[in-house]
Amino acid sequence: MDSLHSLVPLASRVCVVVASLAIAACAGNGEGLDANGRPLVPGGSGSPPPLSADLDSIQANIFTPICSVCHVGGAAPEGLRLDAADSFNLLVGVPSTEVPSLLRVKPGDPDNSYIIQKLEGHQAVGQQMPYGCPTTQPCLTTSTIAFIRQWITDGAPPPAAAATVHAAAPLAITSVVPDAVEPVSASPPQIMLAFNHDLDATQIDGRAMHIERLMPGAPLATEIVAARVTISSANLRVLMVWPSRPLSAGHYRLLVNAGSSSQFSDVAGQSVSVGVPNELGESVISTFDVEVLP
Amino acid sequence: MIQRLTIAALMLAIVALLRTAPAQAEPYLAIMTGYKCNVCHVNPTGGGLRNEFGVTYAKVLLPAETIDNALDSWTGKITDRLQVGGDLRTDWSRDTAPNSPSQQAFALEQFRVYANLTLIPDRLGIYVDEQIAPNGTQNEEAYVRYGSTTDGFYVKGGQFYLPFGWRLQDQTAFVREVTGISMTTPDKGVELGYEHAAWSAQFDVTNGAANATTGSGYQVTTQVVYTKPIWRVGIAGSSTQSNIGDRHVGGLFAGLRTGPIAWLAEGDLVHDQSLPGGRSLAAGLLEADWRVLKGHNLKLTAEYQDPDRHVSNDQQTRYSFVYEYTPLPGLQLRAGYRHYFGIPQNNTQNQQLILMELHGYF
Repeated sequence: MDSLHSLVPLASRVCVVVASLAIAACAGNGEGLDANGRPLVPGGSGSPPPLSADLDSIQANIFTPICSVCHVGGAAPEGLRLDAADSFNLLVGVPSTEVPSLLRVKPGDPDNSYIIQKLEGHQAVGQQMPYGCPTTQPCLTTSTIAFIRQWITDGAPPPAAAATVHAAAPLAITSVVPDAVEPVSASPPQIMLAFNHDLDATQIDGRAMHIERLMPGAPLATEIVAARVTISSANLRVLMVWPSRPLSAGHYRLLVNAGSSSQFSDVAGQSVSVGVPNELGESVISTFDVEVLP
Repeated sequence: MIQRLTIAALMLAIVALLRTAPAQAEPYLAIMTGYKCNVCHVNPTGGGLRNEFGVTYAKVLLPAETIDNALDSWTGKITDRLQVGGDLRTDWSRDTAPNSPSQQAFALEQFRVYANLTLIPDRLGIYVDEQIAPNGTQNEEAYVRYGSTTDGFYVKGGQFYLPFGWRLQDQTAFVREVTGISMTTPDKGVELGYEHAAWSAQFDVTNGAANATTGSGYQVTTQVVYTKPIWRVGIAGSSTQSNIGDRHVGGLFAGLRTGPIAWLAEGDLVHDQSLPGGRSLAAGLLEADWRVLKGHNLKLTAEYQDPDRHVSNDQQTRYSFVYEYTPLPGLQLRAGYRHYFGIPQNNTQNQQLILMELHGYF
């Protein structure tokens, strides 16, 4: 024990040295980087464009520097990634996971868009964002939120930059809501499939899908719920599947009917097959749980 | 009297001259005392509801002044089986960033209540942590716990915070933001835990935040901590499998008491394939808490993060200076100043924050 205590003064000195080194650690000088700390592209100015009511500007001035500090990659809260490649697809016309009855961005209707309520700190949508505001970082000012409001009022058009990025990638599903991981606490008004390209609406068969309720351990469905398939008028990358009646509590899966095509095409003619074929020739797209609270 | 005047003058000087900030880390108390988290908290990984010993510690040993008889009977227990607790934090803050108008505001930071229902003593219980305000109620933790959280194995299932590194109250600490594991990111799943003598260990399988809208993948998190009276060391790892790319996080953390000072350190590395092109990140924290007098704590924190280890000149640091004064049981005042340093072309990476907080707890 004595030897332990004799080590304390030495440990103190070590701590002070380490602390001094920590304090001496320097922030980067930003050389060769843009305003978000990413390497400059040839010809780039490094400064974000002035804030205006378009998603390119909102992305560069708000989503990337402020929101995507947390809302990025695999650790993004609520699965909402707000980096330039994902923000449009995961915002526009997409139900929020926290309040599924609200679209994150409802084009033309900023008051009923989840993101606006979240940024303005409405009671019904939980913690105000950016996280910690106004205590540990500033809330967005009314004038800043006004640009997002105006973008939504203008119909929430996609950014030119993101369209370029996605055009190069093959057509694919980017997200499904609800999903197998996050149960919903009430019957979802619709199931949402988000793609990375605008879909060819003329190829959508409105009766191509149905929903099945499964019992634990039972391989076959105990209940079949008809569904209607539409494409979001607000966002041609979002497919909505509407159950014909409210779903009670249980485990469900979404399928493409046997005999219907499980292939979707984008406006450029690219195609992708979705789902995993089952023994009946149907394609299972996703599974999810509904937990209806009493 | 002179001593009290000196302390009061020091407080005023800090508030008026050096300005102030909101780090609210409590792990320094564990370092100061040499206790494991489960000595004071119902949750074996720390935070949230204090157990009877924790309530007593907060009544008697933490505050500058103990109120005789006033709280003798309060242990948080409503019945033998039901215990409750809560924290309310309200504050005033002023935020200044280059080329931007300063913002200042009073805010109700949070009002949280906790409850623990013991169904079978030392074996089976249900725990709930609910944020009541602001912005409506929000469930933070809700789980069933089976087994001993003081000696042996336990299992909990439901929604809970993941065990990873120092469980800081300041959720904007770089080590918490970069790892993505904090007290703002509860997850659903199961945890297998082990508590014995100096050892604490947890193994968690949960959904993973990345899978909230994709319907695939999972997150595995594990942590082992070895605690001795004046020092402790821990190692933590977390791996998320998701169809947008896997994410792996590793961290080392340690604590040491030297006289009246408790030192906390943590270093984390992240490899995130879900970010465009894959990215490696790093973050570090060093904190010193000096117990000036009973009820008075001076907290100094230095933090560092590298948001992309393959990109030069993009590192960020921040320094915090916080004075915590606990005059009475159930009441704490904090005043602090924080300065961020980042690349000069980004205003938010170079902001300064002054904060004063009133914290009531029971």
